[in-house]
Formats: sequence, structure tokens, C-alpha cells
Amino acid sequence: MMIPFFAQIRRDLAIAWQHRQDLAVMLVFFVIIIALFPLAIGPRQAVLTELGVPIIWIAALLAILAGFDRLFAQDVRDGWLDQVSLSQLGLGWYALAKAVSHWLTAGLPLLVMTPIMAALLDIPMAQLPVLITALLVGSLALTLLGVIGAALAEGARHAGALLALLVLPLAVPILIFGVLASNHDSGIVSPHLMLLGAVLAVLLAIAPLVAASALGTGETETGL
Amino acid sequence: MFDYLANPSRFMRLANRFLPALVVLAVTTGAVGLYQGLVTSPPDYQQGDTVRIIYIHVPAAWLALFGYVGLGICGIFYIVWRHPLADVAARAIAPVGAVFALLTLITGSLWGKPMWGAWWVWDARLTSMLILFFFYLGYMALANGFDRPERGSRPAALLALVGLINVPIVKFSVDWWNTLHQPASLLRSGGPAVDPTMLTPLVLMLIAAHAYFAIIVIYRMRALLGERRLTAMLLRPRGHA
Amino acid sequence: MVHDQQQNTSASPAAATAALKIDQLCVMRGPVLVIDHLSFTLDAGRFCCLTGPNGAGKSTLLRTLAGRLPATSGSFTCPVGRIYVGHADGLSPAISGRHNLESWAALYASDAKRDTIEHALDAFNAGDFADRPVHLLSRGQRRRLALARLRLAPSNSLWLLDEPNAGLDHAADTHLDAMIAAHLSAGGMVMAATHGPLAASVPQARLELAGNKAGASR
Repeated sequence: MMIPFFAQIRRDLAIAWQHRQDLAVMLVFFVIIIALFPLAIGPRQAVLTELGVPIIWIAALLAILAGFDRLFAQDVRDGWLDQVSLSQLGLGWYALAKAVSHWLTAGLPLLVMTPIMAALLDIPMAQLPVLITALLVGSLALTLLGVIGAALAEGARHAGALLALLVLPLAVPILIFGVLASNHDSGIVSPHLMLLGAVLAVLLAIAPLVAASALGTGETETGL
Repeated sequence: MFDYLANPSRFMRLANRFLPALVVLAVTTGAVGLYQGLVTSPPDYQQGDTVRIIYIHVPAAWLALFGYVGLGICGIFYIVWRHPLADVAARAIAPVGAVFALLTLITGSLWGKPMWGAWWVWDARLTSMLILFFFYLGYMALANGFDRPERGSRPAALLALVGLINVPIVKFSVDWWNTLHQPASLLRSGGPAVDPTMLTPLVLMLIAAHAYFAIIVIYRMRALLGERRLTAMLLRPRGHA
Repeated sequence: MVHDQQQNTSASPAAATAALKIDQLCVMRGPVLVIDHLSFTLDAGRFCCLTGPNGAGKSTLLRTLAGRLPATSGSFTCPVGRIYVGHADGLSPAISGRHNLESWAALYASDAKRDTIEHALDAFNAGDFADRPVHLLSRGQRRRLALARLRLAPSNSLWLLDEPNAGLDHAADTHLDAMIAAHLSAGGMVMAATHGPLAASVPQARLELAGNKAGASR
């Protein structure tokens, strides 16, 4: 099981490397959203410090979800999904492999960028470990939620907008617990972080099942 | 395919038999409930006449939740047993549930204006209902988001299942967020604190609303089944009647 | 993790008795009944040619047997692995043909070593362009890469081929015919939809598909 799983991840990473300008677009998107907030609010340091963490979370939420409308579309069009469904890998593990490669190419770069963005928004350095830990768990949960949304919306007419409509309401717990965990001021582990972890665990359990069921009907093609 | 036509028509025969009784039930309980609620029940000593919104607000909120659970149950039936009727039922329920969720938000907002002095307050219940409303919208967009209509059935059923697990988590997270950010809500709708003179019309209105919900869903299912039959007939090759 | 009701993956007692059994299979596309109560058995070492006009359900049948479309009623069992070559080649345009084949072989957990992949590429004269990104290749070249996968699969598998020789040049076409013949003699099964002649030298069963019927008519 592990050999096909890692082969799928390697394949996705190789494809992502060929399309590496997409990664740059995603990161610039993340930075621009964050840069727009001070422009809209005004450069009042006190307000920005208070709003900094929520702003980073909203930007991360949007940037991570922005890449999801094409998560399965290319594999469906290429016929790769047909090949996967008959292989040893199975669609559940395939969805999980997609989540891993998407997180490595979207979630992880955002985490790396976060300290710079925190400086931009005047978030105290001491808060960084808490913020990064919460973002780590939260970005993993968002990625799994995005996999569910992408699998459900695959083949729909306006998959991108539909995906946002499906995923954003369900992302509310991640946002709430994530921001609260990031603002916790005594130690990294907080009840909010544990709840965020619980959300991640639930999504980890259901995402492969739902994605496999949605992609497995073979209704993913367009024509007769 | 035998399931596809035989079962739905048997179901519709059964549903049609209940329909007149449901209409009578909805009209009588609705009429008595509205009369008692708007005329004979006393105004609240704090809220005055605005409390009468409760007779619409509470049934609407119940049915918004009822519809959401109904979607989840239909989803289970569709995914596990591939029952086509479950898909039709879910498609019939979704817009009705969405309207009731919207009605809850509107009446809550109308109630909130005199109570809180603002049209919208980020109260935990209202916020959860708003997210439930978005969930309904997402469900309908997904079910009808494909070029071939039947293609949306399975994703929509799966979404209903995901919602069955995730919407309670959303509800919990909003409550958690609410208790951390502001004191407990002023709005206490329903519950044992309600006076019996208000409870009777409230129960009547709840019965009326449920019957109304059932009537609309049956009518919508009838229309959807008819539409499917028509499509199948149009696609039937000539000389194969 | 994935439930496939039609699939019976239990190991077959003997490869020689392995057979594809289709029993009263119905497949609907929306309201249209495309496959109507089809029953058919394909024995090991046999070749079945699907024929019929456009829209007769050839691709639908192959996709159903490949587990990509749900059967409305009826069932089929296939005790051996299935290899599907559809209209889409199953190649990512961003990476090389060799990388595509390597990841395919890993997913099918086939024991294909590097030299087996070289062998498969050489068989279709694909060695020259195997390291180029697939988006630079012609239609026929991609087709050759897709068919090269067949050489990486276990020998007793069922090949489901949807117009495999479309876009192939004469040399590749001849090689495909030879590959089918070799696969059959090794105890494998082949079901192929085609409009032109395919593997004319081997004995073939013909399955004529009729075409659309409306689901509501019964």
C-alpha cells in the first residue's frame, strides 16, 4: 500500500514542480490579501496588532482553498483517475495522497511565509510559535476539507465558486478554534488547539471515505 | 429500474392518500394557533407584543433543523441503498428547509431590532442558523450544479452526510466562540419558561408548520417525479411504446 | 477502502478457468438505458470484439467493466486484474512518458523493474520520446505510451481496450496485434471496442451492441 501511495505523491509533486509558477501565484495571493487589510483599515498600529491573527487566518483560508478547484480535474481529464481506480492504491488512499501533496505545495509554503507576514502586521515575535502551531494543524484540516469539497464539486459547471460555497461554511470551526488557539498567551497547548486537533481527526477519518465515494461512481466523465 | 418506477409510484399513492388529512391538519391547527397567538395570548411583560414573533420564529427554526436532518437521512438512504426516492426526497426538502432557515433569520432579525436595538447581533443561535442557511444553499448549488441533473445526486447526498457530522461541530464552535466573546444570550426562545397560555398556540403552530412542510415536500416530490418521467418518455425511441 | 460491488477479487483457483462473467447487466446513463440485460461470458485466452454503431454503448460497457460506471442492475465478476485503456490516455502532460509509466507501474504494484519499462517503451518504439514531457507529443505517440502499459501488467489480466488502434501508425498497429495474440496465448483476456480491424489473426467472439432504449419503456 505504501509504495503506490508514495508513488502518487511523487507524481503529484513532479507535476507541481513543472507548474511551479502556480505556487508563486498562490503565495502572492496570500501576501496581497494581507496587504489589503491595512489599506482598508488604515495604518493604525494598535488596530492592526489586534486584527493581525484573524487577518492571517482569513488569508491562509482563502489561499489554501483557492487551489482546490483543479485538484482532481486534471487527473479526470487525463484519464489518470480511471487508472487509479483499478490500481492497488484505491481511491481513498489516492485522495489522502492528493491531500499530502497539496499541503506540501500550498500549506507548507504559507507556514514558511507566516513569520514575515506577522512582522508586516506587527504581531509580537513571542506569539509566533503559538500562531505557527495553530496554523500547522489548521492548514492540515483545511486541506482535508478542501479535498472533500473538490471531490464533491468535481465535474460541476462552476467548480471554483461552488467549492467555496461548500467548504467555507464548514470551515467555520477551523477558523474559530484556530484564531483562539493562535491568541492563547500561556503555553502553546490550549483547549482551542485540542479542539482544532479534534476537528482535524474527524476530517482525517471522513475525507478519504467521502472523496473515494464521490470519485468512485465513475460519473466523473462528461460525455456518453 | 423496477425500483425506480414501482417504488416511487407506490410511495406517491400512499402520500396522496395522506395529503387531504395533512391539509386539514395544517389549516385547522394553523388557524387556531394564529388566532390564539396573535389575539388571545397575553403580551410578554418585558417584550410586549413583539413576543408574538415566537409563533413564526420557533416553528421556522425547528423545521430548518428538521429539514437538515431529513437531508442527512435521505443521504444515508441514497448512499447505502442507492434508493432513487431518497434523492427525490432530498431535492424536494432542500429548498423548503432553506426557506425556513431564511424565515428564522428574518424573524430573528425583526425580533432583535426592538430587543437589542440592532437588526443583526452575532448571537450564537442566529449565527449557527446563518451557517445552516449557507449549507442549504451549498447543497442546492451542488445538487443542481452539473450539466446532467442526475449527476449531482451522489455528491449532494455525500454533502448531506458530511453536514450531518460537521454542522453540529460548527454549532459547537459557534457556541464556544460566543461564550468567550460575549455574555450569555438575552434571547431565550421556547424552553420551559414559557407560560401555558403561550405554549398552546406555540405547539399548535409547530404542528401546523410540520404538516405544511410535509405537504410542500410531497407536492415537490410529485413534480420532480413527473419531470423525470417526462424526460424518460421524451428520450424513448419511436416504436418502443 | 473502496467498495466495488461487482468486483470479486478473491484469488482464482486456476488461471485457466478464470473468466469474465456478465449476468443480466443493465446500465443507465441518466434516463437512457444503454446496456439492456446483457449476459456474456469470456473465457481465459479469448478475445471479444465489441461492435455496433456510435452510441451503441461500447464505451459504456467497457467503462462499467472497468468499474467507472455503476450498473443499474445485474452484475459481473472478474477474478483477475483489469487493465483499462480508454479514450483518455491516462498520462499527465506535465511530466515525461517514462515518469508516467513508472508511477503507473508503482500504483499497480507490478514487479516491473526499470528494464521492463525500457522493454515496454522499446516495443512501441517510444524510447526516443519517452523523456519528453507528454504535452509535446503527438496523438499517436501518446497512444503508444498508453498501450505500453499493457506490457507492465500481470499476464493473466483482462484488458479492456476502447478503440486502442485509433491514431496508431502501421508499425505500432502490427505490434499491438502481436501483443494481443501473445497475451491471449498466455491465458489473458481481451475485450476491445473497435471500428476497424483489430488483431484479425486471432479467433474472436463478436458482441454486437444494439443502441439506446429509454428506461421508462419497461
